[in-house]
Amino acid sequence: MYELFIAPLTETYFQKALIGGSIVAIVAGVVGCLVVLRRMAFLGDALSHAMIAGVAGGYLVMKMLFDLEAHAPGMLLGSLIAAITTVALISFVARISRVKEDTAIGIMYTGIFALGVVAVSIFRHYIHIDLMHFIMGDILGVADTDLWVSAFVAAGVLTVLILFFRHFQIATFDPVMAASIGLPVLFIDYVLTTCVSLVVVSAVSMVGVILVVGLLITPAATAYLLSDRLDRMMALAALFGVTSVIGGLYLCVWLDSAGGGAIMLFCTLQFLVVLTVAPKYGLLARWLRLRNLIPQQIIEDILTTVLRYDKPTPLSVIRQYVESPKGLKKPLQRMIEDGLLQETAGGYGLTPAGDKEANKVLKAHRLWEAYLETIGTPKEELHPTAHQLEHISDTNTVKYLGEKLGKPQNDQRDQEKQ
Amino acid sequence: MTTKSTSVIKVEHLTVSYHAKPALLDVTIDIDSDQLIGVIGPNGAGKSTFIKAILGFIKPDIGTVLINGKSAQKAKGEVAYVPQRGAVDWDFPITVQEVALMGRYQQIPWYTSPKRKDRQAALEALEMVRMEDFVDRQIGELSGGQQQRVFMARALAQGSDILLLDEPFAGVDAATERAILEVLERAKQSGKTLVVVHHDLSTAAEYFDKLILIKQRLYAYGTPRMVLREDLLSKVYEGRLRIFSDLIKEESQ
Repeated sequence: MYELFIAPLTETYFQKALIGGSIVAIVAGVVGCLVVLRRMAFLGDALSHAMIAGVAGGYLVMKMLFDLEAHAPGMLLGSLIAAITTVALISFVARISRVKEDTAIGIMYTGIFALGVVAVSIFRHYIHIDLMHFIMGDILGVADTDLWVSAFVAAGVLTVLILFFRHFQIATFDPVMAASIGLPVLFIDYVLTTCVSLVVVSAVSMVGVILVVGLLITPAATAYLLSDRLDRMMALAALFGVTSVIGGLYLCVWLDSAGGGAIMLFCTLQFLVVLTVAPKYGLLARWLRLRNLIPQQIIEDILTTVLRYDKPTPLSVIRQYVESPKGLKKPLQRMIEDGLLQETAGGYGLTPAGDKEANKVLKAHRLWEAYLETIGTPKEELHPTAHQLEHISDTNTVKYLGEKLGKPQNDQRDQEKQ
Repeated sequence: MTTKSTSVIKVEHLTVSYHAKPALLDVTIDIDSDQLIGVIGPNGAGKSTFIKAILGFIKPDIGTVLINGKSAQKAKGEVAYVPQRGAVDWDFPITVQEVALMGRYQQIPWYTSPKRKDRQAALEALEMVRMEDFVDRQIGELSGGQQQRVFMARALAQGSDILLLDEPFAGVDAATERAILEVLERAKQSGKTLVVVHHDLSTAAEYFDKLILIKQRLYAYGTPRMVLREDLLSKVYEGRLRIFSDLIKEESQ
């Protein structure tokens, strides 16, 4: 037990990874909620890829001008500029040409990523960037500067998001209303994009370009399945981010695997578990709901059977007339609960509400039968077809059938007169 | 107030164009308070441009839009907007109460949280549309009519005297349409002016005090009897005349 859980905690690299990873995961989870709700997941992907050009640019400029090797703030600024340039190019291309936004994103981010890759390889004697590190991340080798950078970014972004929570909420939910009460919607969009860029930039050194999108959207999507309020969704997303980092790091130590990969794997498994068991939006809940659903058709068939029998109906009679593949026990039970039926000594009888409902269906049945007759349905098919159709008994349909049947009769009478 | 009805929306010579194509051409309308006004016209007639102009989103090429005597671009929040149902993300994690509370956001300074009086105002607005029993529901769990009423509540909580509704009757059944209309009527009686974009000509006469018929230019503005005339409609809705001749016959009965 000690070996498994406590021993890693005493290692400095593990502590740093835990702290750095948690900071990034919290802020990524919170921002990720807005990313998920605005459907900008692809944009997060674009930003992380575009960064490499910025990192290379920042590295090169600081090295050329100030002779600083791998200057972290310089590279951060470079990535930020690259990210924002990418966003600007995307919206420019999407706006002025017939190319749609998703295509524009794909073009621009691969283009800028390629620019970065080419730059890094051309200037390989000046820039010492390990492309593999950039792509995969290295959470177990987090440097102190990385920790500080991510801590400042997280503090800044979280402050903005909490202070202007309502603004982000309304600009995401209903931009038109937001604009109509005088909020600068476009500016809010830019602020959010900047926040996403900052988070992506600070997270890439830990989990790498490819996995950063996962850290941004998977915890948020997990929280989305569990919450009906944005503030709760954000809190839960932060929590799921942290649990992914903790679980992933232990996984990586136990299995001796890549850190970033283990974190995202854990995060994804977590999502799948929640997707299965979430009380309201989960698969299990959905399956149960569907299973408990009693088809309206069966209820209506029972009602009309009892109505036609005209006295308390024994179960055997109902079974004879009502087809129910899953048995009649549950439908009958439910109908008693809903006050449509009552159980008496002789069998099942209609309550006043049930009687009303049954008469409605019966009326629809007769109307459909009459209608089918006018359109020339063979006599032997009249009853079974009307039996199928009687369940379409909403007011509009009944009214329509009534009118429709009223007219042909008049027509016939007219013809008889002539 | 001494006069019973005063002009709340005054549109004068409004012309708006996109790439040299006019979306609205020389529209002049004076809307008095306490009325239920329907805006009708075929697709692409400039109805949504008209909405944007009233909300102050666009700078007209020429002409003015005055809301309560102020330029529309300066009168932010004085027109409460109710979006089309199709424009809302119904899976958004937000409850009925939070949507209504949004109506108060303009009054809440950015550095404070909503106060008790804001929550109270939101709840009162929900009571007005009879949705107070659903405060904690996520909006996607409601029926179409209930959803529409929640957004009405948000507009009422905003406290504006002018409400702008974009196709509130689209995609709801007849009974729900009645329920929404009732809420609109109640809002009108409490002194609101409602401008409703509407597409169903067969109900237009029955629902509204006055109609605005536009297709780029203003074809008619007045009582339904004045607007729903065969010659006007045939000019605006080309080629679908037969339907309208029925409609007008019903109207005159």
